Amino acid sequence: MRSDLWRNNIVLLTALFILAPVGLILWQSFLTDAFFSARANPTADTYSFVLSDPGFWDALQNTVILSAGMVVIAVPLGSLLAFLMVRTDMPGRRWIEPAIFLPLFMSPMVLAFGYIVSIGPSGFWSTWWQQTFGAPFWNVYSMPMLVLVVALTHVPHVYIYVATALRTVPSDLEEAARVAGGAPLTVAMKVTLPLVWPSIAVSAVLVAFLGFELFGLPYVLGDQDGRLVLATYLYKFNTLLGRPAYQLMAVVVIFIMLVTLPLVMLQRRMLRSAQRYSTIGGKATRSHAVPLGPWKWVALAGVMIWLYAVVLLPLSGVALRSFVTTWGPLVAIRDVLTFDNYHKLADLPLIRRSIVNTLLLAFVGGFASLCVYALIGLASHRSQAKSTRVLDFLVLLPRAMPGIVAGLVVFWIFLFVPFLKPWVASLVAMWVAYTLVWLPFGLRLVSNSFGQVGRELEEAAYVTGAGQARVARDVILPLAKHGLLAAWLLAFLLYAREYSTGIFLMGQGNEVMGTMLVSLWNGGNIDVASSLAVVNTLVIAGGIALALRLGVRLDA
Amino acid sequence: MTHPKVTALGRLSAYACAALFPTLAFSQIPEGYPADYAEIIAKAEAEGSVVIYANTEHAAVEAILADFAKAYPKIRADYIEIKAADLFSRVSSEAAADALKADIVWSSAMDLQYQMVEDGIAAEYGSPEKGAIPEWASYNDRIYGTTFEPVVMVYNSKIIADDQMPTTRDGLAKWLTENRVEMKGKVATYDPERSGLGFFAVNEDAKNGDQLWPLVTAFGAVDAKFYTSTGTMLEKISAGEHAIGYNIIGPYAYLRAARDPNVKVVVPQDFTVVLSRLAIITEQADHPNAARVFMDYLLSHRGQTVVGNEAHLFAIRPDVEGPATIAGLTAEHGDLLKPVSIGPELLDAIQPMARLAFFREWADALKAGK
Repeated sequence: MRSDLWRNNIVLLTALFILAPVGLILWQSFLTDAFFSARANPTADTYSFVLSDPGFWDALQNTVILSAGMVVIAVPLGSLLAFLMVRTDMPGRRWIEPAIFLPLFMSPMVLAFGYIVSIGPSGFWSTWWQQTFGAPFWNVYSMPMLVLVVALTHVPHVYIYVATALRTVPSDLEEAARVAGGAPLTVAMKVTLPLVWPSIAVSAVLVAFLGFELFGLPYVLGDQDGRLVLATYLYKFNTLLGRPAYQLMAVVVIFIMLVTLPLVMLQRRMLRSAQRYSTIGGKATRSHAVPLGPWKWVALAGVMIWLYAVVLLPLSGVALRSFVTTWGPLVAIRDVLTFDNYHKLADLPLIRRSIVNTLLLAFVGGFASLCVYALIGLASHRSQAKSTRVLDFLVLLPRAMPGIVAGLVVFWIFLFVPFLKPWVASLVAMWVAYTLVWLPFGLRLVSNSFGQVGRELEEAAYVTGAGQARVARDVILPLAKHGLLAAWLLAFLLYAREYSTGIFLMGQGNEVMGTMLVSLWNGGNIDVASSLAVVNTLVIAGGIALALRLGVRLDA
Repeated sequence: MTHPKVTALGRLSAYACAALFPTLAFSQIPEGYPADYAEIIAKAEAEGSVVIYANTEHAAVEAILADFAKAYPKIRADYIEIKAADLFSRVSSEAAADALKADIVWSSAMDLQYQMVEDGIAAEYGSPEKGAIPEWASYNDRIYGTTFEPVVMVYNSKIIADDQMPTTRDGLAKWLTENRVEMKGKVATYDPERSGLGFFAVNEDAKNGDQLWPLVTAFGAVDAKFYTSTGTMLEKISAGEHAIGYNIIGPYAYLRAARDPNVKVVVPQDFTVVLSRLAIITEQADHPNAARVFMDYLLSHRGQTVVGNEAHLFAIRPDVEGPATIAGLTAEHGDLLKPVSIGPELLDAIQPMARLAFFREWADALKAGK
């Protein structure tokens, strides 16, 4: 007997977890003031205010361009990168793997600042170019540059999904194709690609969606020209009218949520036959790499160029900034070199605390979130019930709220729901907000890998008398461990750099590095912000390297 | 940082000490305070901590907190830093839910701070230090100015020679128009639409005379860039990406100038708007006495010396000496300084209609220059 009661309960809880904040936002969007204020009255003018603002349509246009650019550039590159890393004999894969995640370590604001220091109008790469070749042909603040930067820095998001799927695809099919005379490219396109298509489709939808709530990069790179995207446009209502206009922010969030509808339907179309692709079978197979021949050097060069663009350029900018008092073509570097920025770190007692908090939240909190995602994933696994299909749509909704809004809404819920009140401004509330915001990403990763477990293995376990819990524990979870570990890694990386979600939930003693970085930076203390960013990157990179060494291996 | 937790027993014994040995506690009272202040200190020490929500960045406030800890080792200062607009959201939400954690709210967003007085969030407290700060710097015993921060211009002296740099708004407008080709894209200032502080400062400019609007037109002519944070502007001016920054908050500008000799500060010589970080004690404070002690410390000669000379936020007490003080600034610039007075008129800046009208005028003036 398979009981559906627990499934329904989990689906119900998940729906509540998502719909409570969404409902609050919907309600807020129809009020004249903050929902808790005595000044609040019902109205629909909020919608006409936003829709009649030309700034909104400009922001929407920019957002659509960014989002489309991300899909067009990041999805093919991320998939290709995953194929090269997992399936071929490209040299240097061992040390490239941790480097791929580097763009995910840094807060987008710091990343953007790194680009300004390296290839901005006064940047040191620009200065070098100017001296060598003449005036640079790029403008770091232009729209095409923004699209490029945003797309290239989201390649790792796609990579995680596709690589996870690829690692579970047995290579016998590819070998058969090769034996039959297929060239590596043909094998990749005709055999490998169809097998991981569901993961690519999911990552494309998620990346498109990520484009809609993009904040940090456009906030910094679009700042000086007032080039807004939906999330930065929304943020403008924090100050535009004096007091924060939550109702107008809510309207924009509702609009972003509406965008999820067509995306989810698109995803459903692409995945209509997803279960054909269960790839973890009962037979043990050894994975063989596709030999690329001389092409492997071309592939390596391509990967190096990408790494140069998304890691070396911004990181060198931030690292350089951390060792100088100022920069630009007007000063000679040797005159401004200093270690002071690092000494100043030691003067701030809370830096150490923030490092500990960050690691705690990212490592332990990330694992706890993973458990939540796994539970929800199991509840909807192979379920044809309507309720679980509704979840497909619901899980994308939290990401329609930019981090700061999600944090504010979770803060309100903790504040105004009596039994949650004691927990407000604690690490617990922060963890809930993080789990909510990254639900679409973690859950998709987890349920994708569950989907790859061959149905016949589960059936076999049921036939021999195992209950649902036993099947989950002994069949699904062990076989899907790639996906679970990848989800944990993703959660770790995203939590470690998250900054906006926690602003309202921060109490004394739970500062995290991401938040400190942004507040130092906004406060003009860029000296310390950049040295902290370097420390932050080293700490997290060290953590990842250690984890990979200790056996938390994606390709175990 | 670990701190001993105050037990009920400890609290009791503190009260008992205060009652039994008034002379002992008496010795701690700062000079000139009322005799019953010992009781406030004793209660504050029994409360054990004061929770401060503020937008002054950690690096600047560390000196103040460290000295407060020396002055009152038994009162722990829990300092939570939040950006101005988010700070207002957090405080008004918590107050509405009757769960306000902050005992002190301290922010440079003067308009939003006064809104909290208006909303009944601020408690009444007549600080014994009130007489030591200028009369305009407090209102109705509910809100106190704690700093004296001039809004200045900044320039990169490697791009603009010292004797070329204009020192008035009229002069700047004229000079920019004359050098519009060289200065294209080289001027940075706040975007009033996207920065609450930026709007507040430029709105004060508009109130102080007609000099602003020709300057805005000149901004349009040189395709000025508009920012949301001081940090980015100063960084880019220092790097030479921009040459001039207009309406930069003084403490940040002077700190940057101290570290980078290329960055120079001009205190406008037609008039200089002066802002102040405003502090309130909350009505719902869990540690009302500790809040009072902290407020009094912040306004005290000792506290203000740290505010001015260590945190470089410019002391508001005339009897504190040093470059970053009201005394130092007044000696040099006297009548040019136009401090924003603290009172209900601060609310004018957050009337949506007034703001939208200002933005329209701003956009028109910009367009006139293009």
